[in-house]
Amino acid sequence: MLPFLKILLRNVLLGPSTDPFPFAPAKTHENFRGCAVHDPEKCILCGICHHVCAAGAIQLRPSEDGSGVQYLLWHNSCVFCGMCAHYCPTGALTMSTDWHLVHTGEEMLSNCISDFIPFGKCAQCGAKIQPRPKAIVDKLGARSPGRFLLCPQCKRQSIVKNVAQVGPLSRQENS
Amino acid sequence: MLPFLSKLATRSPWIYRINAGSCNGCDVEMATTALIPRYDVERFGCKYCGSPRHADVVLISGPLTLRVRDKVLRVYDEIPHPKVTVAVGVCPVSGGCFRDGYSVGADIDHYIPLDVIVPGCPPRPQAIMEGVLKAVEIWRARLEEGVCSHS
Repeated sequence: MLPFLKILLRNVLLGPSTDPFPFAPAKTHENFRGCAVHDPEKCILCGICHHVCAAGAIQLRPSEDGSGVQYLLWHNSCVFCGMCAHYCPTGALTMSTDWHLVHTGEEMLSNCISDFIPFGKCAQCGAKIQPRPKAIVDKLGARSPGRFLLCPQCKRQSIVKNVAQVGPLSRQENS
Repeated sequence: MLPFLSKLATRSPWIYRINAGSCNGCDVEMATTALIPRYDVERFGCKYCGSPRHADVVLISGPLTLRVRDKVLRVYDEIPHPKVTVAVGVCPVSGGCFRDGYSVGADIDHYIPLDVIVPGCPPRPQAIMEGVLKAVEIWRARLEEGVCSHS
């Protein structure tokens, strides 16, 4: 009898269901994919984010003087698929939970991530190589710290030198 | 009288939606913003209206496909000044993932000035609400400007 009384009581106890958003912060799930965040300290300019970006929001523009690359991610083109963060080998790109991206039309083109990432330098000959930020050196360069900071040519030479010191490889090792 | 009216008018902006070839994701979010009690954009006096001639704030979604371009521009011209345009989603600004598609010409920005942009694919309802509130602020400024120019 009178089933609405039960609903009425429940609604009175639970209070309004409206999210008080503009007057109080909205609830955001911790897994919500908001705008991407780029950490230039970890980026090695591999370009996989540019390759997998479905909407073409990421651009890597080499600087005019050739000293580095301008990394651009335009939020107004990003569709928040999170592929860049998924494929980023060093964790430089992450998806934050920030969705407060509303802006006026004048800020249309400036609403982007723009980081300048300088190239690394070969520790031996000084040639330009991919950036070798400290976070990456600590993580990947631990096995051969001397060789990790070299350009491909110097690396090859150092390997040859090592081999020459050890002596020619036997036939079994070589195969 | 006019300043008084402009103060009153901005308390109830009427919203009109234009679907310019959208994939319907943003339209669903716009409907959600208006209809679901949890978000309830009508708290701010907003009302979705059926005719462009009654509208104050225009929400545009979609990359402006070639097929609807002329119709969208015709409807847009019917909206009385001062109108405020809100681009919902990334498609109106950049084309999103439809950019360079066979049916997508230039961005909406080439035809219609966008005043507020709500990026997202689709943006969440709270973000649309934020955009509408920002549009109302711009609308108020424009109304007051218009009033000043009258005197």
